[in-house]
Parts: sequence; structure tokens; C-alpha cells
Amino acid sequence: MKLIDALAVIRRPLPENAPLLRVSLACGFTPLHLETFLTAGLRERSPVERVEVTTGLFGDLAGNIEGIRSADGDVLVAVIEWQDLDLRLGIRNLGGWRVAELPDIVKSAHRMLARLEKAILTAAASIPSYISVPTLPLPPLFTTPSQQASAYELELRQAVSSFAASLATHARIRILSASHLDEISPPAARFDIQSELSAGFPYQLSHASAVAELLAALIRNPSAKKGLITDLDETLWSGILGENGVDGISWHLDQQAHIHGLYQQFLASLASAGILTAVASKNDPALVQQAFEREDLLIDNQSLYPIDVHWGPKSESVRRILKTWNIAADSVVFIDDSPMELAEVTAVFPGMECLAFPKTDYQAFWQMLRRLRDAFGKAIVSEEDSIRLDSIRAASHLHHSSNGEGTSLDSFLQDAQASVAISFGKEKEDHRAFELINKTNQFNLNGKRLTESSWMAYLNDPTTFLMTVSYEDKYGALGKIAVLLGRMRGTAAIINYWVMSCRAFSRRIEHQCLSWLFQNFDLQEITFAYQPTDRNKPIQDFLASITTTPLTGDVRVLRIGFSGKCPSLFHQAKATVNA
Amino acid sequence: MHNLEHRLVRCFSSVFPDLDEEQIRNASIDSVPGWHSLASVTLISVVQEEFGVQVSLTDLPNLVSFSAVQNYVQHHVAS
Repeated sequence: MKLIDALAVIRRPLPENAPLLRVSLACGFTPLHLETFLTAGLRERSPVERVEVTTGLFGDLAGNIEGIRSADGDVLVAVIEWQDLDLRLGIRNLGGWRVAELPDIVKSAHRMLARLEKAILTAAASIPSYISVPTLPLPPLFTTPSQQASAYELELRQAVSSFAASLATHARIRILSASHLDEISPPAARFDIQSELSAGFPYQLSHASAVAELLAALIRNPSAKKGLITDLDETLWSGILGENGVDGISWHLDQQAHIHGLYQQFLASLASAGILTAVASKNDPALVQQAFEREDLLIDNQSLYPIDVHWGPKSESVRRILKTWNIAADSVVFIDDSPMELAEVTAVFPGMECLAFPKTDYQAFWQMLRRLRDAFGKAIVSEEDSIRLDSIRAASHLHHSSNGEGTSLDSFLQDAQASVAISFGKEKEDHRAFELINKTNQFNLNGKRLTESSWMAYLNDPTTFLMTVSYEDKYGALGKIAVLLGRMRGTAAIINYWVMSCRAFSRRIEHQCLSWLFQNFDLQEITFAYQPTDRNKPIQDFLASITTTPLTGDVRVLRIGFSGKCPSLFHQAKATVNA
Repeated sequence: MHNLEHRLVRCFSSVFPDLDEEQIRNASIDSVPGWHSLASVTLISVVQEEFGVQVSLTDLPNLVSFSAVQNYVQHHVAS
């Protein structure tokens, strides 16, 4: 983005009641255009949000971070440069570059990194924090020629790497990727010595724009895709199964089919991180089954579900897979080598991202893997991610076994040996609960999302509660699948947020949630901050089933009314209450 | 030349959005209340980026009006 465009973006009009994002930008240099680009980058990504960036004192990065309070900002952005670690690593201070001083410079940088780490960890306890580690070249203070790395330089870089690696393990800290920055902002074109000396701003405009853009992308990242549907022939493997046979298909280097092996390995990686992966293939089902029995496959058929194989249109497979997964087409990527198949699926599912498998273009293949990693990227892999596919299999089994409502469902649920674990308290580090609030569409009370900072603010309010529900039955564990956020007012409760994973439908867990709340807190009524959305019909149907009042605005459910409409519940409920 | 002037007006407008085109053409550090040091740095950065010129530290103090910036850009773009 050019500076003139950033200034224009910042001045775009906003809706009257636009929510405010308060960014505490901590850097040791004059924030100048970085502040402008960061504001513009955030406005571009979140056009209906007002962005307010506050900055601290020049030359005191650590002090600026230490001074941050959660009341002052919603997020912390800390941009560290070498001179923040020791003034002699910058050029505005003439502190000496003699050989004898180099060990002390390194030692001093270590001390400052320790101080910064402590300050950032303190800030991250209350607000999400985004960190950029030094991006500028070190000044020419080392005695070695530029083609030779100095031991001191290496030690400095190692200290920064250790610092970043340690912070990156924290759930609310994100480190800007130095290697990604290298791709969009060449290191040799980053430093503006004139601007540094005249204005205390060391970045070339293009570099400031690149750093700000990546930081904005970290703060306001788009929702990750949830599922990938792949073709088999000439995609998951090289060759045509029906023509070459089970032993004729390949994915190995010596058969010039290595990119298919890499693709399998990549899909296995996605599946292990909880991404749904399925197969849509025009093929002979028996042959496909045999192919998946080959022991040298890098992804097993347990990681792929469903495997939908027939000779009909691919869009039929895709439709069935989406139904099984119970997710929308725009959350899914479809990959096939055939332009015709891609066109057919695109025509039926225009919101789906359809990618051609570039079987002969290795560079395009590499770019595709990188695109997929971005599309499915997630900051944290949770325990629920590892059991997602199993629980979808179990849900499918349940669906087929119960085959409808009424007595049949009653006997099925009774036989399911289900247990729900309810946790009532305020676990601010519960990333899974936060994730569920922000990714669930169907059983979602009002479609409202929470930023990390608004999540923290909500839980810091002493009048609020967080209730989470985990589920398990004889078909397997679903993990944490429901989240309720609300407030208690005497014998009444107000539910502001309520989401439940679509994997948990048809088990009466939603009834159990309310039943437990009514009974455990002796409530007489619960009010739901309900709002219809394009996609929350499941919760509309549920609320309509337990109340006779029309679903317009807040929905009030009385205990006496709920008791009369609640079906039989067979779960064994275990609860942990931490006030 | 007309194009250069138009682009320069756009640069000024991005930093001083409250000024109309006429006011921009007559703008100077004395006549525009918001033309303080931060605005100067931003304006010169926008101009440098727009025209691909590098304003030296010694020339910076002289760029105190629209016409001064216009002359500077004309001279340096041409050269």
C-alpha cells in the first residue's frame, strides 16, 4: 500500500456506531508512517471498525510495554528493532563500536530481551499481543567482512530467536513471521538512514507498509477454511486406478510422481490438525478400497472421511460430503486435476474455492501447498482438533442408527451411554471456547463474534459467567462442543452467547445445558439474546420448540414451560463449578 | 505539467483533507494551521513516493508552500 492510499483509507467514513479497536503500538522509534499503515491495514481488513492507535515515548520500548494496561488498549503491538536492545545497535546514538565493546553490547541485548519478555508476558496476560522482532540490518559494527557472519552477530540473532520462540508458545502472543516478511520486503531495501536521522523513523515506506500489513493480518485474520475435498487419480496419486491398477499408481521420486507423495503428506498434516479431509472420485469403489490398503500411502483412509466414490457428477459427491460434515461450501477447498470437474463443482458451489492440481508444474504445486497452508492455518491445535473426524464418523453412525425422532431416538440415546461434562467458571485461557464462539454458524444464538480483547473484557466483568460443555458416548468423544456466556440476575439468567458444534446435534445436549442451569442455580427463567442470522436455523428451531412466544428479539423461557417441553435426557452429567 | 500539478494536489489533499483545490494551490506553512512538523514529514514522504524523488535534508526546510514543492518536483523529475 502506498502512503497516499493509506491516508485515504484512514479517512473513509464509518458507520455511526462502529465498534472501536484500541491498539497500543509500542516501538522505540517514532511510529510515524508505521502507525498510519497499521491503522489503514486494520481498516481495510475490518472496514466497519474504528481503529485508534496510541503510541508511547520515543526510545523507551520496554517502558512503553511495561506501561500498558488492559484498560488502555484492546491489543498490544510491539515492534522491536536492534537499537531497542542496545542503543549502540542503532545509529542515532554514538556509543562506540570498538571491538572491546562488542561483548558488552551482546550482554546488554540479552538483558533487554529478558526485560522485554517479562513485559510482554505481563501484557499478554490481559490483552492479545503481536510482536515484530528486529527486521532491519544490523549496523556495520562487527569486524568481519559482510560475507562472513560474526560470532557476535550470530549470538545476537540467536538471542532474538530464543526470545521469539519462547513467546510464541503463549496462547495470546503472535510473532510476525520473519521469513514471510523477507518475501514481501527485501532486507536490503528496508532501512532509510535519512529518515532515521531526520525524523527518528528508520523504515523505508515500502517496508513500513509490509510490516504493518502483516501485523494487521495477524490481528484481524480471516476465518480459516475447515475442509478439503480431493480427487484421487492424477491428484492424490499419479496414474489412473482403473487403467493402471492398484500397483500401477504411484507417488514416489523414482517414478517421477513425488509431488503426489508430498500432497499426501500435506493432507495427512492437515488432517492431524483437525482439518476435515474427504475424497470425491469417479472410480470403482472396490478398486479404491484396495488402493487404500497399500501400506506405502502417506495418508490412511482413516484420515479421509467420507470417501465418496461413484461414476456420477462430482458435485453430487461434494454435496454429500458437505452434508456429512455439516459445513458450508465457502469453508471448503476442492482439488482436482480435471478442469471439467472443477468447472462442474464451481457451477454448483460458486462459493467453494476450487483449485486445479498442477501435476506437471512443480512451482505451481509449491504455491498451491503454500496457499492451502494459509487457507487452513491455525494458531493453536487443540485436543478437539485431533478427534474431529472421529466424532463426525460417530455422528453419522448416530444419524443412521437413530433414524429420526421420538421413541427410536429415545432408545438410541438411552443406549448411547452418553456423558456431558459441564464446566462453569471463567477459564480465560480456554482457546477452544473462544474458537467455538468465532467459528460456529448454525447453532449460534445471534451470530455475534468476539475478538480476543472483547473475550477478555467480557470475562473480566464480575457479573458474567462462562459455561462449557464436553460430550462423550460409546461411539467416541466429541470434546468441548458447547459454550454459553451470560449473566446471573437472582433467579434469572441472561444468555448473551450460545454456540454448539454441529457435530453435537441430535443428542439433546442443548436441552441438558438448560436443564442443568435451571436446576443447579434454581433459576425461574432464562432470557436469550437471540437474533436470527442467515445460518442459525438450528437454534431458531430449538428455541421455537421450548417456547410459545414469537422469536423476535430477546427470547424468555420460563422454567415451568421448559420442564413441560424438555424431552427425556439420558446423559450422565458431571459438573465443575468455579465461581 | 498539468498532470504533475494534479498529482501534487492529490498529495496535498491526502495530508490536508480539509483544503479545497484552490486553497491547496495557495497553501503555505503560514496559511495552513495544520502544517506542522509531522504534517511536513508526511507530506514530503507522500510526494517522494508519488514522484519517485528523494528530498535531501538540506532542501527540506525550503519546501514550505505548494509552489515551492511544485518547483522542486518539476526540477527533480525533469532532471
